[in-house]
Amino acid sequence: MTTSDDQTTTGDDSRGDSSETDEERPDGVAIGSNFKEERLGDMKDWTIIKRLWRFMRPYRVTFLFCLLLLPVISGLELLQPHLLQIAIDNYITPGELEGIGLVIGAFGGAIVMRAGIQFLQHYLMQRAGQNALVDLRQELFEHVQDRPLGFFHDTPVGRLMARMTTDVKSLQNALSSGIITMAGDLIMLTGIVVILLYKSWRLALVSFTVLPFLIAITAFFRHYLREAFREVRTKVARLYAHLQESITGMEIIQLFVREHVSADEYRDINEEYRDANLRSIRYDAMLYAIVEAIGSITIGAIIWYGSGQVLDGLITLGVLVAFIEYMKKFFVPIRDLAEKYNQLQSAIASGERIFQLLDNEQKVPEVDSPAPLPERPFRIEFNNVWFAYNDDEWVLRDVDFEMAPGERVALVGHTGAGKSTIINLLMRFYDVDRGEILVNGTDIREFDLQAYRSTFAVVLQDVFLFEGTIRENITLRDDTIDEETLHRAAEAVHVDELVERYEGGWEHGVEERGANLSSGEKQLVSFARALVHQPEVLVLDEATASVDADTEALLQDAVETLLSQQTSLVIAHRLSTIESSDRILVLDDGEIIERGTHGELIELGGHYETLHELQYATSSETSEPKVAE
Amino acid sequence: MTHDDSSDEGPLSLDVPLEERRRKMRSYFWRYKWWFLLGAVFLVLTNLQKFTIPVYIGYAVELMQQAAEGESELELLRANLVWAAIAVVLLAIGGAIARILSRITIFNPGRYIEFDIRNELYEKLADLTPAFYDPAPTGDLTSRVTNDVKSVRVFYALTYLHVINTAVAYAIGIWRMAQVDLQLTLMCLLPYPFLLGGILWLGQALFYQTKVVQSQLSEISTKIQENLSGVSMVKAYAIQDREIDLFSDLNEEFFEEKMHYAVLQGGLQALVGIVAAVGTFILLVVGSSQVVGGELSLGAFVEFNGYVVALAFPTISMGWIFSIWHRGRAAFDRIVEILAREPEIEDPDPEDQLDLPPLESGRSLGRVEMDDVTFGYDDETILENIDLEIPAGSTVAFVGKTGSGKSTLVELLTRLYDPDEGEVRIDGTPIERLPVRQLRSELGFVPQEPLLFSMTVRQNIRFGLDALDYDDTVERQAPTTPLIQPGPDAPRELSQEERIEQAVDVAGLRPDIDSFSDGLETIVGERGVTLSGGQKQRVTLARALLVDPRILILDDALSSVDTQTEQVILDHLDYIMRDRTSIILTHRFNALDRVDCIYVLDEGRIVQTGTHDELIEAGGVYEEMYRRQELEEDLDT
Ligand SMILES: Nc1ncnc2c1ncn2[C@@H]1O[C@H](COP(=O)(O)OP(=O)(O)OP(=O)(O)O)[C@@H](O)[C@H]1O
Ligand SMILES: Nc1ncnc2c1ncn2[C@@H]1O[C@H](COP(=O)(O)OP(=O)(O)OP(=O)(O)O)[C@@H](O)[C@H]1O
Ligand SMILES: [Mg+2]
Ligand SMILES: [Mg+2]
Repeated sequence: MTTSDDQTTTGDDSRGDSSETDEERPDGVAIGSNFKEERLGDMKDWTIIKRLWRFMRPYRVTFLFCLLLLPVISGLELLQPHLLQIAIDNYITPGELEGIGLVIGAFGGAIVMRAGIQFLQHYLMQRAGQNALVDLRQELFEHVQDRPLGFFHDTPVGRLMARMTTDVKSLQNALSSGIITMAGDLIMLTGIVVILLYKSWRLALVSFTVLPFLIAITAFFRHYLREAFREVRTKVARLYAHLQESITGMEIIQLFVREHVSADEYRDINEEYRDANLRSIRYDAMLYAIVEAIGSITIGAIIWYGSGQVLDGLITLGVLVAFIEYMKKFFVPIRDLAEKYNQLQSAIASGERIFQLLDNEQKVPEVDSPAPLPERPFRIEFNNVWFAYNDDEWVLRDVDFEMAPGERVALVGHTGAGKSTIINLLMRFYDVDRGEILVNGTDIREFDLQAYRSTFAVVLQDVFLFEGTIRENITLRDDTIDEETLHRAAEAVHVDELVERYEGGWEHGVEERGANLSSGEKQLVSFARALVHQPEVLVLDEATASVDADTEALLQDAVETLLSQQTSLVIAHRLSTIESSDRILVLDDGEIIERGTHGELIELGGHYETLHELQYATSSETSEPKVAE
Repeated sequence: MTHDDSSDEGPLSLDVPLEERRRKMRSYFWRYKWWFLLGAVFLVLTNLQKFTIPVYIGYAVELMQQAAEGESELELLRANLVWAAIAVVLLAIGGAIARILSRITIFNPGRYIEFDIRNELYEKLADLTPAFYDPAPTGDLTSRVTNDVKSVRVFYALTYLHVINTAVAYAIGIWRMAQVDLQLTLMCLLPYPFLLGGILWLGQALFYQTKVVQSQLSEISTKIQENLSGVSMVKAYAIQDREIDLFSDLNEEFFEEKMHYAVLQGGLQALVGIVAAVGTFILLVVGSSQVVGGELSLGAFVEFNGYVVALAFPTISMGWIFSIWHRGRAAFDRIVEILAREPEIEDPDPEDQLDLPPLESGRSLGRVEMDDVTFGYDDETILENIDLEIPAGSTVAFVGKTGSGKSTLVELLTRLYDPDEGEVRIDGTPIERLPVRQLRSELGFVPQEPLLFSMTVRQNIRFGLDALDYDDTVERQAPTTPLIQPGPDAPRELSQEERIEQAVDVAGLRPDIDSFSDGLETIVGERGVTLSGGQKQRVTLARALLVDPRILILDDALSSVDTQTEQVILDHLDYIMRDRTSIILTHRFNALDRVDCIYVLDEGRIVQTGTHDELIEAGGVYEEMYRRQELEEDLDT
């Protein structure tokens, strides 16, 4: 269309200079531009369908019953033009009305029965299909739960979301109605072909001369349509990725006045998306209209050839009318088939992506017969542990240490030294590459993963609060945690003061990611979370980094009183936090370079002592004599 | 009926008058009115074609019957029949062209509207502040920009297509039928109002059930989203079994609702089959005796049948209209709730607008004053009567207990929030009188919780430069000043590449970058998950330093950085920020002896001010906190 003027009215004028901005901006700086287009595997359509069948299998009886209903439905529908033919030939043309009531009655009956059976078939099919989907959704969710943490670091949340929502939905269309209607259409088409050939094979052949054209044209447009749809799909994914990241990071975008740059990026993707869609509209309209036209042309052909046949007395007028009616019914399924086929294609593509996810066997390996959890308290040993996130970039080298039962061990060291990584290994978020981690002498890989992890309580460096109440955020919706434990823990870490401030008290809403709490308060809440879970081992990764010294001291007291028997591993940059630990390990570039108590390490005069010096530079000025012992 | 469609209660709900919403909705339609109008014309043409074909079919039947009765000459008849066939073919071709054009002219503007609304939403979102974002669930926002915009597009394109098409089809159809036989027309149309009523009723029921199904589905998505973004917590506390149970419950509920939906949908499908055939049925009942009685010719009978069948689809399509219509309006209302929102923070009126004195080297800038500032996020007061003056070029620190309001205080400087009372001035200019973006382009903010984008480290570091480089509405040019004290004959102006390298050094990121095999081109993962806590913080620091800010705000920005690295960073800052103001919020005391002034905050008030030594001398909150840290240390050694 040449009316492109309409397009320029788009958007508001205040940003008229945006096109200028476009040209200068180098590629690949856009938010979300590192979104990698997903490579589709080379799974065969057939394999995917077979695998989908596994989910349909439990409901196969219903499914087969529905399939059996299909010929009945088609039969009842195809009966109608035939009855019309009988009415015309046997009653109307001869002018003989007696007995036509029966034909009309049959016609009405066919309508009603068809409606009833159709309803039944639809309902049953939905039931089977939705059941299968419930199973699929559940399996997907459970499967994802079993992936290791590393998997989530490589896979954007948005993409997983798309797998578990959009793709499942597109399967839904195919499973619960698509396949069956397609089968229904095919049965209908075959029925028509057979009936027409039977009624008058000559006229039938003439009517079907258009079929090759029809098939060629459909194939032609379908090819372009598929291309357009593929483009739409990738664009929509990028659009989504950009939006998602923009919304989460909008504050940063605004603080760095990047709103316009980002909006331009978004507009560009949006434009590509729109244009791909316009293309698909064009092909779709042509396909639709041409199929429709071919239908009418066939009617022309029937009139041209059929009338001659009627005139020659080879067929009756009723047959001709019936032919026209059948042909009208013939092209609707053909047109729908093209659409259904597209739907099926995209369902298969979705299926492929879902199965790729289900095929991801990345997993924290588990043993078949897990060892029973050891007696508490735990003695934990790291024996010559090596670990790398990416090949060859060793993050931990030969880490070797031991935590006696009830001991408090602290990890200090430069940022990026690998402290959090040690926790990742201890929690089995990742498994060691070399060496082993033992609990009371048993390799932790021998235990049941869930049972093993549930003996820990961790406050991770990145605090996560979810949208819900304060209570839910502490108990993690575990009903077995009683009020008293909750209150005691809250009191110990001063969350109770926070709760008292709120009108809703414990039911006060925490916003997504804890947006309405201060950073320190978030840490307190997750500290409370750790305490109420009454762990065997307490792990604190910079758990008090955003908390003031006063509160921190109180937290330490709380840990001391509530978890005095437990083994604990603490990471902190603020040395005051860990000075009282039973043992301090100093990590540098993935290696433990010093170990001992605070006193021993100061005496040693190494790395730790330097850190300590720096931290207390001020304190040594004002209280020299006390420190310098 | 209009009122219960407006969106449900929620953090995003906003009361926009119905009139306003509808006006806005019409405005998009008017924007593309020529497309739509053209579409209507083509729809008329398609329908004319559709309702002309039966004429020729009827005509052909007529001719053949005449032949049977031997009334006319056979040769002429044959010729006429061929003409009838050719007419049908020509009609088919013309119809195809009209049909293609009608779809394009109606579906295209739908896409244009979708494009426009998406862009407008994005631009609006870019104007809204945390007061809007914090309570807004991310999933809800993204769903409005994606799903709701889609519903609105479908609304414009499909309602228009179907409503016009049905109206035109009925008009032309009835006109044609009446020409054949008025009485028969009335008889045949008799069941249509009832069927239409049934279809509309089912359509409505389907719509409400769809709403239920949708909300169930969105609960499922919310659950998945929460589970995925909190995955480390789920794993650490081994609560995945509980999560699976919760999910399973939602999944089952969804199934139940979906089955209710299936009943209605099945009903509609059954009804569709009835509509498609009922016309022929009535025609048989009434028409056959008329033909036999000689009141109606067989040709007219067949022609008539063509009309009633052609009316079936337009009737059926009304079944979808109800859902599309209502879903579209509800979706539009949700979109308007964003579009109609006034940003809480706005630029001053042009006549009130002031500028900041320009940055020059050698001149100290970045004086911050707060006059009697009071602020609360909601009813509760968080900051009370804050009065302070930070001299240009100085370095100050804020300390205080968790939740005392430190972060809140510095956020007032960035105008992420505006104070409820009082005034904030920078270099003498009240910040409300500065254009917001100009103000922000002068600030370097390192937030307490580091947030990175899933780009490369380099792109994250240069994040703030993009606007200065590419956005003409930002006056400030990208700075070229070095970040590390240049030697006597080193250039005073550097390329951005060089500055990025220096920023890496200043933020102490060099060893980390060296340890990555992709160096600066390492992609950091969503929110920066593949970096260590301290690495993330230092990338955000480098990002802020690179824009050469007038005021640098470090909100506890080195909490995950070890002391040694911290010292190095602070030393560099002394040079970079020599003529500028630095504001440091911290819980660590080791950096405090190098700052010019410390403000102690307690429950939203400044309770003490002074240098480290003065505050120790004076005794009070600060001295207590300090002693406690020291005391702990004493106990150990
Ligand atoms: N998921 C990951 N994928 C790849 N590399 C990672 C990942 N997590 C951490 N790293 C890298 O491993 C190294 C050690 O990180 P770790 O988080 O253990 O440091 P840390 O000692 O806890 O530092 P900090 O004090 O800053 O928290 C860093 O160089 C980091 O970039
Ligand atoms: N978006 C918000 N909505 C409502 N209340 C908030 C919001 N952000 C912070 N608060 C509340 O305001 C108070 C001050 O928070 P602020 O973040 O300023 O504390 P802070 O001094 O920076 O604490 P921290 O040392 O923990 O960082 C806290 O009690 C917090 O709960
Ligand atoms: Mg860490
Ligand atoms: Mg804070």
